[in-house]
Amino acid sequence: MPKDVIGSVMVVGGGIAGMQSALDLAESGYYVYLVEKGPSIGGVMAQLDKTFPTNDCAM
Amino acid sequence: MADWEPKIVAFLCNWCSYGAADLAGVSRMQYPANIRVVRIPCTGRMSPKFALAAFRKGADAVWVSG
Amino acid sequence: MLTKSDIESISGEVGNFSVSLTRQPRYVDMDLCVGCGACAEKCPKKVPDGYNSDLSKRKAIYVEYAQAVPLKYAIDGDYCLKIQKDKCGNCAKVCPAGAIRYDDKPETVTLNVGSVVLAPGFKPFDPKGLDSYKYSEHKNVITSMEFERILSASGPTHGHVTRPSDGEEPTKIAWLQCVGSRDMNRCDNPYCSSVCCMYAIKEAVIAKEHQGDSLDCAVFFMDMRTHGKDFEAFYDKARNDAGVRFVRSRVHTVTEDPETKDLEMRYVTEDGKIEVEKFDMVVLSVGLEISSELVELANKLDVDLGPNRFAATDSFSPVVTSREGIYVCGAFAGPKDIPQAVVDSSAAASCAGQVLSSARNTCTKTKEKVPETPVKGEPPRLGVFVCKCGINIAGVVDVPAVVEYAKSLPFVEYASENLYSCSQDTQDGMAELIREKGLNRIVVAACTPKTHEPLFQETLINAGLNKYLFEMTNIRNHDSWVHKSTPDLATEKAKDLVRMAVQKAALITPLAEAELSVNPNGLVIGGGVAGMAAALSLAKQGYATHLIEKTAQLGGTALSLHKTWKGEDIQENVARMVKEVEDNENITVYMDTELESVDGFVGNFTSTLKGKDKETTLEYGVAIVATGALESKPTEYLYGQDPRVRTSLEMDKLFQDDDPALKEIKSAAFIQCVGSREPGRPYCSRVCCTHSVDSAIALKKRNPETDVYILYRDIRTYGERELIYKKAREAGVLFIRYGVDNKPIVSVTEGNLTVRVRDHVLGKVMEIPLDALTLATAIVPPDNSKIAQFYKVPINDTGYYVERHAKLGPSEFATDGVFLCGLAHYPKPIDESVAQAQAAASRAVTLLAREKIFTSGTIAVTSPADCSECGVCIALCPYSAPSFSTERPFPGKATINPVLCKGCGLCVASCRSGAIHLNGFDNNQILAMIDAL
Repeated sequence: MPKDVIGSVMVVGGGIAGMQSALDLAESGYYVYLVEKGPSIGGVMAQLDKTFPTNDCAM
Repeated sequence: MADWEPKIVAFLCNWCSYGAADLAGVSRMQYPANIRVVRIPCTGRMSPKFALAAFRKGADAVWVSG
Repeated sequence: MLTKSDIESISGEVGNFSVSLTRQPRYVDMDLCVGCGACAEKCPKKVPDGYNSDLSKRKAIYVEYAQAVPLKYAIDGDYCLKIQKDKCGNCAKVCPAGAIRYDDKPETVTLNVGSVVLAPGFKPFDPKGLDSYKYSEHKNVITSMEFERILSASGPTHGHVTRPSDGEEPTKIAWLQCVGSRDMNRCDNPYCSSVCCMYAIKEAVIAKEHQGDSLDCAVFFMDMRTHGKDFEAFYDKARNDAGVRFVRSRVHTVTEDPETKDLEMRYVTEDGKIEVEKFDMVVLSVGLEISSELVELANKLDVDLGPNRFAATDSFSPVVTSREGIYVCGAFAGPKDIPQAVVDSSAAASCAGQVLSSARNTCTKTKEKVPETPVKGEPPRLGVFVCKCGINIAGVVDVPAVVEYAKSLPFVEYASENLYSCSQDTQDGMAELIREKGLNRIVVAACTPKTHEPLFQETLINAGLNKYLFEMTNIRNHDSWVHKSTPDLATEKAKDLVRMAVQKAALITPLAEAELSVNPNGLVIGGGVAGMAAALSLAKQGYATHLIEKTAQLGGTALSLHKTWKGEDIQENVARMVKEVEDNENITVYMDTELESVDGFVGNFTSTLKGKDKETTLEYGVAIVATGALESKPTEYLYGQDPRVRTSLEMDKLFQDDDPALKEIKSAAFIQCVGSREPGRPYCSRVCCTHSVDSAIALKKRNPETDVYILYRDIRTYGERELIYKKAREAGVLFIRYGVDNKPIVSVTEGNLTVRVRDHVLGKVMEIPLDALTLATAIVPPDNSKIAQFYKVPINDTGYYVERHAKLGPSEFATDGVFLCGLAHYPKPIDESVAQAQAAASRAVTLLAREKIFTSGTIAVTSPADCSECGVCIALCPYSAPSFSTERPFPGKATINPVLCKGCGLCVASCRSGAIHLNGFDNNQILAMIDAL
């Protein structure tokens, strides 16, 4: 482990998993770079119509 | 009565129906302009007083949604 | 947030990585774009819309969808006429913000980070290459992703189910499962994709909801894998109530009627008959796979992948990759559903944070606070800002007229219009005006407060005003966008809405946000694998952790398990974990100890712990419930009556001890779903199929001559576990399916143990003599009611705790400060228990790291003088915020805990004495709005 530990994290991917990771890290006191290939975040989940069990809108 | 237009007051829950009304806008759904929205934090906040006050002010219908 | 960015390379080591990225050109200046959409309206170039699975077209300048974040347009450089052919240029002409940059170039960005989380997702399997379904040729054969878009209200058909060939409503739809999964012959994906059974059921149910009961939906499957929490009940409902047909058959070819474009399928039913059936539409339930770009990314990062190209991980460290400091979550680590991906992602955050805990809060930015101007006692001086939102509002509503009207309203000191109220320069201008004109209450008539209220509140703070001196009214989503054809009425409505907001704003007062310190200690209840993993995770992030275990030994159920399906020795790993827990300075372990009482609330809990001979009082900020579950003891199949009949754990004990009895076994059988998926316990215990298959292989390994049978209902070796199912079949394990209405019969005659079962494939009853019978019994929760009452958290019908949200909050409770992991949530294997434990710790750390909690200003308060002490508010509140005060000056009167109050107003509306007020939405404020009608 180097002496100068950097308190920031890169999260690769802006889908549901990447977003949740980024939120947890940011709220835990780390600076987060969320890197996404596409023009906006959301991932595949944003394409889903509704989700089980409540059939909530996936948005 | 043919050209009578009702006056509707809507009490919408901030978390669901208000958001739904937002989405109706995003989707550019068209509806008549007779409705006035009062945003409330939750339909639990709704009190009979509000419905009565709205009728007193001339509302023809009160809609509570949440 | 860095969009349109690709990773090029990484160097350095954990704690200090240097990452080089390429930012692809967006051709739109993100700082200037306001997302109005004028550009897309004028763009002449139509391109397939990837968001709608290419079922519809979008423009070359686009946002992926209306709710996209960031809501900034981007130009698709491959299609844009200006960029490709130097023609057009319409968007630059119409952009009111001057945000178009045709000369945008790729740029290299270097980031210095301490750790990396990989969540690059998956690619839906592309069935184009499968000639049996002719996906590319038959128009009415579509993928499940396409069907998902067809069902969606924001999709190409606005949620109306029609078939692609002719736009007609289908009357019969078939779903074909395992397309691109569990298949080595036609594609290279031997694993199960885990999610397709469930989404196919969901799509079938929703399709029937949309089109009515006359729509015939049939799902063709091999094994129905509804192993998630509450999934089995959903399957039962789809079959029994919604009338979805389930056909156990793998369909091999689909042929199209060239005239009608109907689809004909030939399939073999379970009893061996060949059926031919016509459908209007066929949906291919495509699996998940890892794209070649991701393989390339993994190579660049030097992260090892497994045989199926998913990131290689270990059951006891499920989010740790082969490279130190790089963690993985989501479908990149194996096919999984949303809740599991959410669990993993929090776990990865926890691990990524652990290695950096010494540098916590060193890179985050804090803002300087502007001192707040006191406004108490001053008459209201209102500022009204009416937004044009480009042409979004001003194109319909006469904005100058609304501004003029606003000026005529009482208390309005200043009113003006903004082109884009949300743009940075307008924000600065507004702050300036607030100071210059001495405004003390602000009304913004623009878009929705749900997205923009925080932004404007920030402006108020920057101008030195309390952020609650703000009221927003929505003249876009609720007005200009939905009344396009009646601009006069829309303008009238805008005036009314502004008047209502102004009347309310005159009555609003500054609100204080109470500040509470958070006790930085954590309590973990339960010393099994999940509890230990959670405690280690909290401790490694630097928080003192108390771990209580009611027995005399750490390890829980895992102590009775032999090996994971990946072959890891569980006892070795559990022993290592126990040692790590005992050696960790931040962890205090309490053995033979149970929780006796809980007082307080998030950030400030107090509990009494009852040990064997001592009681301890403990103060802590967060609690993690990891109380586990048990193996049920069956009452059927001669269990308890014949020593050769054992449960799965009892069988594992033989393996653990390398019992000589194993040598005597010449013929062994496993019966699955003993006590699971039955009335009264309608859930799948998730782990038993994998467990039995693994044990069956172990028996075959010891002696290949042993006859091994698995009697099952559906084999649910989900994800990459499918590979051991394949391995078992190759090793000669015989699988015999039975129906729940035709269970196997176990008997002993003259000391000989036999099982009778009807083989569906052979169509005859088999009688199998046995030396050993293993019952894969259900996993059942213990009585959780005591802890549920302590923390006021719910339990479901089957006795498991209920998480905050099935998808998005799987590792926490709705009650703030209380978290959940392991078998207490639902049956799950070790890797998933560890991940959820780390996830619960991660969610807990987001609270602990704050050190202080600020309550919201919009909460309920009581006026004790009016309170009649009836207790209705206490009975009603879903968050347990009100209680009777025990202290002076108002003992016996209701008081509301500002930390627990969520500001819903239920108590306010229910209080018969009018003694409760809701800050920000008080009676007089709402009545003032109504009064302004």
